[in-house]
Amino acid sequence: MDFRLSPEQEMLKEAAAKLAAGFGHAYFQQKTAEGGKQEELWAALGEAGFLGVHLPEAYSGGGMGISELAIVCEEVAAAGCPLLLMLVSPAICATLIARFGTDEQKSRWLPPMATGRTKMAFAITEPDAGSNSHRISTAARRDGEEWRLSGTKYYISGVDEADAVLVVARTGTDEATGRARLSLFIVDTGAPGFEATHIPVEIAAPEKQFTLFFDEVVLGSDRLLGAEGDGLHQVFAGLNPERLMGAAIGCGIGRFALERAASYARQRSVWGTPIGTHQGLAHPLAESKVEVELARLMLAKAAWCYDHDLDAAEAANMAKFAAAEAGLSALDRAMQVHGGNGLASEYGLADLWGTARLLRTAPVSREMILNFVAQHSLHLPKSY
Amino acid sequence: MNVAVCVKQIPDPAGELALDPSTHTLVREGKLILDDSDSYGVEMALQLVESAGGGEVTLVSMAPNNETSGLRTALAMGAAKAVLISDEALAGSDALGTAKVLAAAVSRIQPDLVLAATESTDGYTGTTPVQLAELLGWPAVTFAKKVEVSTESVTVRRQTEAGYDEVVSPLPAVVTVTAGVVEPRYPSFKGIMAARSKPVEELTVADLGLEASAVGAAGARQQVISVQAAEERKAGEIVTDEGDAHQKIVAYLEQIKVL
Repeated sequence: MDFRLSPEQEMLKEAAAKLAAGFGHAYFQQKTAEGGKQEELWAALGEAGFLGVHLPEAYSGGGMGISELAIVCEEVAAAGCPLLLMLVSPAICATLIARFGTDEQKSRWLPPMATGRTKMAFAITEPDAGSNSHRISTAARRDGEEWRLSGTKYYISGVDEADAVLVVARTGTDEATGRARLSLFIVDTGAPGFEATHIPVEIAAPEKQFTLFFDEVVLGSDRLLGAEGDGLHQVFAGLNPERLMGAAIGCGIGRFALERAASYARQRSVWGTPIGTHQGLAHPLAESKVEVELARLMLAKAAWCYDHDLDAAEAANMAKFAAAEAGLSALDRAMQVHGGNGLASEYGLADLWGTARLLRTAPVSREMILNFVAQHSLHLPKSY
Repeated sequence: MNVAVCVKQIPDPAGELALDPSTHTLVREGKLILDDSDSYGVEMALQLVESAGGGEVTLVSMAPNNETSGLRTALAMGAAKAVLISDEALAGSDALGTAKVLAAAVSRIQPDLVLAATESTDGYTGTTPVQLAELLGWPAVTFAKKVEVSTESVTVRRQTEAGYDEVVSPLPAVVTVTAGVVEPRYPSFKGIMAARSKPVEELTVADLGLEASAVGAAGARQQVISVQAAEERKAGEIVTDEGDAHQKIVAYLEQIKVL
C-alpha cells in the first residue's frame, strides 16, 4: 500500500491549486453575486488541460484517470471556487462519451470538452421519477433515421452555459419487468422544441438550476450515445465519477473553511490570547479536520478503485456521504469561530453554505447512500 | 538562443521553517519547491527562446539530497533540461561558494544568456548572480523589468528608484530579473506529464572539477556567528477622539516628516 501521490499527481495538485489561487474566493463570490459564470477560471483550467486529465490522449485529454480529475476539482474548491459544473461536463458527460461514444462522437465532443470550450449538462432527474430512474417518462421514439424526444426534466444544472445536454430517455419497456429501457442522447441546447426554465434556488453558485421541456425535439442518429436500451447500465459508469467530484468539492470546501477558521482563530484575540487557545473553538475545528481527512482518504480509495476497473460503488458512495457531511460541518464550525463575521460577506464563508448543504442532497441524497450501504455492505433487507 | 536559468529549490515559505541551532543555516531536509521568484526567470527565458525561434532553456540548480521537485515544476513550465549539483560537501555554502558551483556548471552549458532572480526568497543576499557573472568574466545587468535580445546583445530596462535605465550589454551576459518582468505561466497537464521524462543531469563537486575545500562550509568566507529573533513590533499609538484627534494625527505625521 502506498498513500503518497505520484510526482505527477503532486505537481498537478500544486499547479491546480496555484491556478485557482490566482482567482480565489473573492473572484468566485463577486462573479456569482453578479449572476455571472466562472468563465475566466473555467477557461484557464481548460487551457491548462486540467478539465480533460481523465480523457484519452487521442482526443486532447491527459490520458490519466478520475483520481487526477478529483485532485483538480478538490484543489479548485479548496481555493474557494467550488465548480459544480465539473461534476457534470467532464466527470459524467465526457466520461460517458469516452466510454460509449463512436469515433465520430468522440472526435466531435471530447477535444472541445477537454479544453473547456464546450460544456455539456446532464439530465436524468424528472418531477415524477426523482431517484427512481426506472420511472423515467421522457421518451425518444424512432422516426425513420431520426429520433423524436419529448418529456420533462428538472433540477438540471448549468443548462444556460451548456452547449448541449446529455439526456437519459426511455426508448422502450422491458416486457419481463415492466421497467423502462433507457438510452442516452446528446441534445443541443438551441434545438427547436427545446426549452429551459430557470428554477430559483437559495444557493450562491454560478451554476443555475433548470426545468427542461422537450417537445418533439428531432435528433439525428449520431445523437444516440452507446447502445439503444442500455442507457441505465451506461449511466452507472458516469455516476461514480459524479459522486467522486461531489466528494472532492465537499472535501475542498472543508479544507477552505478550516484554513480560514484556523487562520482567524490564531489571530483574533479578545481576552488577551488568540481565540484558538480555547478548546471550545479548537476541538470542533480539530474534529472537523479529522472528518475532512477521513473523507479525502475514502475519496482517494474510491477514485483508485474506479481507475483500476474495480467496483467503486461502495467506496464512491461512502466518500460522497462522508465528504458532504464533513464539508458542511467544517463550514458551519468555521462560521461559528468567526462570530458575527461568519455571516459577513467580507469573510467569504456564509455564501458557500448553499453549495455545501446541496452536497447532502445531490448528486445523490444521503438517504439513498445509507440505503445502499445498508443493503449492499450490511446485507440488510432492501428498503424500497 | 540558449538560455540558462539559475533556479533555487527552497523549503516551502508557507511551511514551518527552522534554522540549524549549531550552524545557523536554514534546515533544508524534506521536500523543496521552486523559489517563486525564479519562476519569472524561467518564464522570461521561455519567451526569449520562443521569440528567437530556436534554442532551449536549461535550468541550473544546487540543492541537497539530489532534490528535483522544484526543477520538475520549472521543467513542466517548458524548460528543456536541467543540471543539478548535489553533494554533501556543499552543505554550509555561502553565496560565493554557490556562485563558484553555478559558474562551473554554466561553463559546461555555454549558454548565450544566464537569467536569475534578483534574490532568493530564503537567503535574500542578492549577491550570487553578480558573483557568478564575475567568475564567468561576463557582464552583469541587474533588476531587469524588461529583457530583449538580438544576436549579439541584450537590451535591458533596469529598474531604478527614479524609473528605469536602458542598458545594452554584449552576450553572453548574466541578467537578474525582478518579479513582474513577465507573468509566469501555469504548468499545463501536458507539461507536467512531459516533465518526468526530461533529462536532469546530476553532478557532484568533483564532476565540476572543483576542490571540496573551496566550497561548502569548508570554503565559506562568511560565517554566521549568531541569530536573534527580530524584535516584536510595538503596538501602535491609539488616538482617542476628543474633538482634537485630527490635530494629533497631523502633529504625528509632521513628526515623522511625511507632511
